[in-house]
Amino acid sequence: MNIFSKKQNIPTSQAELIYEAQTSKERRFRTNVGLSWFILLFILVFMFSGQDITFGSTTLSGIQIDTAFMANNLSFIAGGLGETIRISIMSIALAMILALLAALGRLSTFPPVYALSTFYVSLIRGTPLYLQIFFFFLALPQLGIILPGLIAGVLALGLNYGAYMSEIFRAALSSVGKGQREAAIAIGMTPSQTMRRIVLPQALRFAIPPTGNEFIAMTKDSALVSATGFVHELMWRSIKVGRAQFHTLEALIMAAMFYWVMTLILSYVQSRIETRLSKGDR
Amino acid sequence: MVPVVKISNLDKYFGRLHVLKDLSLEVMPREVVCLIGRSGSGKSTLLRCINFLEEPSHGCIEVDGIKVAGGEKGKKHRQLVHEVRLKTGMVFQEFNLFPHMSVLENVIEGPVIVKGMDRQKAVDLAEQNLDNVGLLFKKDEYPNRLSGGQKQRVAIARALTMDPKVMLFDEPTSALDPELIGEVLNVIKKLANAGMTMIVVTHEMGFAREMADRMLVMADGELIEDSKPADLFSSPKDARTKALIERYRSGEL
Repeated sequence: MNIFSKKQNIPTSQAELIYEAQTSKERRFRTNVGLSWFILLFILVFMFSGQDITFGSTTLSGIQIDTAFMANNLSFIAGGLGETIRISIMSIALAMILALLAALGRLSTFPPVYALSTFYVSLIRGTPLYLQIFFFFLALPQLGIILPGLIAGVLALGLNYGAYMSEIFRAALSSVGKGQREAAIAIGMTPSQTMRRIVLPQALRFAIPPTGNEFIAMTKDSALVSATGFVHELMWRSIKVGRAQFHTLEALIMAAMFYWVMTLILSYVQSRIETRLSKGDR
Repeated sequence: MVPVVKISNLDKYFGRLHVLKDLSLEVMPREVVCLIGRSGSGKSTLLRCINFLEEPSHGCIEVDGIKVAGGEKGKKHRQLVHEVRLKTGMVFQEFNLFPHMSVLENVIEGPVIVKGMDRQKAVDLAEQNLDNVGLLFKKDEYPNRLSGGQKQRVAIARALTMDPKVMLFDEPTSALDPELIGEVLNVIKKLANAGMTMIVVTHEMGFAREMADRMLVMADGELIEDSKPADLFSSPKDARTKALIERYRSGEL
């Protein structure tokens, strides 16, 4: 045992030297990207600061925004955060169920079920989400079905995302090899036991990271539900105070910041989940 | 004696391809039958027909008194197939352990979920079988932490814990690195010596020669040879068997 070997951190082998060089290059790159981000953020903030800056003969002036308005309405707009998150969670739950059903249908060998699944996906993906929201909120009352704005919004978002996410779930289900099913069947499991105990747990594990991405996208698309005028989420609130006081610029900047920060936080959580899952089995 | 497995006039088609041709076979209790033949000769398909992973097109499969006609549908048929599956244990080339379950959970899954066995009883049984394959110390590991040989031994323990009347091995060592084949073959030998009836599809001619009570050779969907290993190696009847043995002798197999 060489007691000195632990003390020296100087890389010796060629592989270590190459590794060292690569990581330090990577580190430098990341530092520079971070720095550039900071500068871009600074420029963005400066643009809306109302300050003037002079380079020789040219003067750049920032856009004047009403910070008093922003401070006064901060809590009103922030009050929509909960509603935005609530819509997103309800819709993603609905979307996951529909996506799973559509994916199972897509893998079915029974023609009507396969057709139903592809028909649903095609119809929903072939029409705008905005139209679907209005359909549930404004078109259905003509048939005597009156839905509250929130329900109409959640139904539309859930149906829409379910159609897109069916591809994720289909891929997840197909990622579970044929051998897994055969092993389950060989020990006497019924098809439903095989699905519940063997296929679904593995498929869901595969589907979690991309579903997280969809959830992040949904928090932003939930803004469309404001179009119903009856769901007081972030977007609706910022439009409302902005229009009323002719400060839509400030109001939208605030809403944008809320969405952006929310997305950043969710993306961070998402990447944590992803690394956690990738460490698991397989 | 009554055969454990009795296959009568089995036919299997994949579309228009005739893979098994009017095949009949009996396997007696405690018998070790090795099934050899070139790839594509139908030996895996025959094995998979026994527990209905492939549904036979015609003919009849009987396992431990449960008689099932191939090519039928309906609830009664499914019930019979289920009973046959409970009496057969299968080991796959690719192990097919459940990656989201620990070794122990893999082994107790069948008894607990399929047979409704008390969990503690299943654990005791599973630990005993894991001990038999020498892997009790790995019971809390996940499959991805095991070597190929260890995975296959767990797969054997998993099949054994269902208390089958016959074990079906589908090329159990073909996916293994050469240095890991021995440990799996040793477990299979131990099982044979303990009196388990088994049908082994294999390319391991040395193993078959040593362990088999009978060797069956398949070619083009037919059984072309059914004899004791010594006879097979000394006086093969069919030209195709001769070719197979030549390849083995020359070290190709």
